[in-house]
Amino acid sequence: MGKYIIRRLISMIITLVFVASITFFLMHAVPGGPFQSEKALPEAVIQALNEKYHLDDPLWKQYLDYMKGVFTFQLGPSFKRVGTTVNDLIIAGFPYSAKLGFFATLAIVALGIPAGIISALKSNKWQDYLVTILATVGVAVPSFVIGALFIYVFSSKLGWLPSFGLTSWKHYIGPVIALSGFSLAFVARLTRSSVLEVMQQDYIRTARAKGLPEIVVIVKHALKNALIPVVTYLGPMIAAMMTGSFIVEKIFAIPGMGKYFVESVSSRDYTVLMGTTIFYAAFSITMIFVVDIAYGFIDPRIKLGD
Amino acid sequence: MTDQFKITPDLWEPIVIEDREKDKIVRKSLTYWQDAWRRLKKNHLSMLGLGVIFLLAFAAIIGPTLSPYSYSDQDLNMSNMPPRLELHKLEDGTFVHVHKEYRLYEVSESGEILSRIQHTKEDMINKTREFEFNGNEIVIDYKLAAINKDVPNAPKFTLTINGQQNDTADKTVWNKTYLFGTDTLGRDIFVRNLFGARISLLIALVATIVQFFIGVIYGGVSGYVGGRVDNFMMRVVDIVDTIPLMLYVILLMVVLGAGLMTIIIALGSVYWVRMARLVRGQVLSIKENEFILAARTLGASPWRIMVRHLIPNSMGAIIVSLAMMVPSAIFTESFLSFIGLGVSAPQASWGTLASDAMGGLRTYAYQLFVPSFFISMTVLSFNFLGDGLRDALDPRLRK
Repeated sequence: MGKYIIRRLISMIITLVFVASITFFLMHAVPGGPFQSEKALPEAVIQALNEKYHLDDPLWKQYLDYMKGVFTFQLGPSFKRVGTTVNDLIIAGFPYSAKLGFFATLAIVALGIPAGIISALKSNKWQDYLVTILATVGVAVPSFVIGALFIYVFSSKLGWLPSFGLTSWKHYIGPVIALSGFSLAFVARLTRSSVLEVMQQDYIRTARAKGLPEIVVIVKHALKNALIPVVTYLGPMIAAMMTGSFIVEKIFAIPGMGKYFVESVSSRDYTVLMGTTIFYAAFSITMIFVVDIAYGFIDPRIKLGD
Repeated sequence: MTDQFKITPDLWEPIVIEDREKDKIVRKSLTYWQDAWRRLKKNHLSMLGLGVIFLLAFAAIIGPTLSPYSYSDQDLNMSNMPPRLELHKLEDGTFVHVHKEYRLYEVSESGEILSRIQHTKEDMINKTREFEFNGNEIVIDYKLAAINKDVPNAPKFTLTINGQQNDTADKTVWNKTYLFGTDTLGRDIFVRNLFGARISLLIALVATIVQFFIGVIYGGVSGYVGGRVDNFMMRVVDIVDTIPLMLYVILLMVVLGAGLMTIIIALGSVYWVRMARLVRGQVLSIKENEFILAARTLGASPWRIMVRHLIPNSMGAIIVSLAMMVPSAIFTESFLSFIGLGVSAPQASWGTLASDAMGGLRTYAYQLFVPSFFISMTVLSFNFLGDGLRDALDPRLRK
């Protein structure tokens, strides 16, 4: 177990180095410097800027400096927002994104899994059809459409809920629905097919033959096994909640990390773009790692030692 | 001993013809693909999906050429026309429509927009506009717009025709001139969405083909060569797979500059990972078969074994994965367009159309509904088709 964790930690660090390197070299492959704009700056100003941000150093030195920054959590200054560092932006934005991602994950676990279970247990009854139809439509509608429709119906037409910001509990409803919609539908479908498969296993028949009450058969024998594939999906999904949120943050005007990420894309603020990308990637890798470890506890067939 | 078991000719008798017929296999034997097609045809949802996809592709190719408008034609007099027109009766046979921007249009009873009526006088302070048409005096008073700003569904103006107030619409008809209305620049939304279908479907298809080739070659080589090479190649896949791929598509787009080609390159070059895994798994199990050994003994080159034996035999799984890839490419493309990395104007994809419509969502929601409907419809169709293909191409589910 300990050996496995150490090996996984090493591979995490390798992945992170890989991500940081690709990001660094991609950003340096962009034609034109970061200070190229419509208004041509005087030669001396550009030289001074290059000197200030060490852009006149040889590439390998810039690379080493940057990698050192990544591992000491110093992601450098923003080129476009003078006086702010990438760290400042992440500290300002991440809590909002994290809160939103947390509630969306909660909604998926609390609604998606039970919906899938009910659908499988009431197979071919109206409950099943309802869940199946909703889930089929849910995976076909992009989050920005859900978000926009939500604003149109509940904020614009009915006037029940606010359409932007993130100050009261009412503000969370729209973004959480838009953010969790796709994964919620997907988890419901996954749970349904997994439970259906498990319910046909011999050990379920054995459990029933022993005369166990149906609730024990379902909870202790069926669900414990059926939820394993669902847990596998949850790890990358939590990461996707984070990276997917920039669309939702844009629609609902939430000052989260996604906002800075999208802004840096359009304003070509390279350090912010690099920094947020690496942060997203690091978060995602950590999430997958955590789920892999948890996975070993849930499924005894998986021996983490090998 | 031997004469006891002597076989004499009279021991033999010819079989009756009818008995011989009993063993004959009457039903035509089907190949793998014929059988898959037969089973797919039985799946109604999949066939519906396939039908919708063909219809969409057909409409995307033919549609824009049949329309009187081009996707880039602008007409600022006709901006933001809705698909449903509320008509106020002026006199017998003459109807007018009050636009949400307080412009006045002459509309026929069946819904054809005949002309825009220019106002003769505008009083900015009292918020009124006066029009004269065929000797009728029409006044639009839009004071209510500011008063009812925060009240949903409240009237925004009052209309007075020849001194008589006429607030409720006499009739509501479908817009016959612009089927789905027009956008902020007066471009026909229907034609733009059909054109968008071209771009979106093209991006999805080409990106899928690109990732198919990269994935199949990468996975095939890794699986067939095996050993240390396989180990190394799969570690690379593991690393790439843990990175949120959307970020890399965005980074690539920033580096390469937005545009049709770059979206295709970015999508294709990033999303091959899953395909590579799948093909490797298939190749690993197929290469242990005797017919591969036979091919190798006969001196077939590794390339030939790969192209003629390994890949065709894993085609079922690959096709299912391809069908599922198309919707995810359409999704990713629309997300990219949404944050401003899509194709550049006046070209349009469904994603850019939806993105453009976001600004006027509160007033012109129909502009968002059309591309959203197309995206959802297409994704739904490909999902149905993919589900059906998965069942049809799985020999274990054969009935």
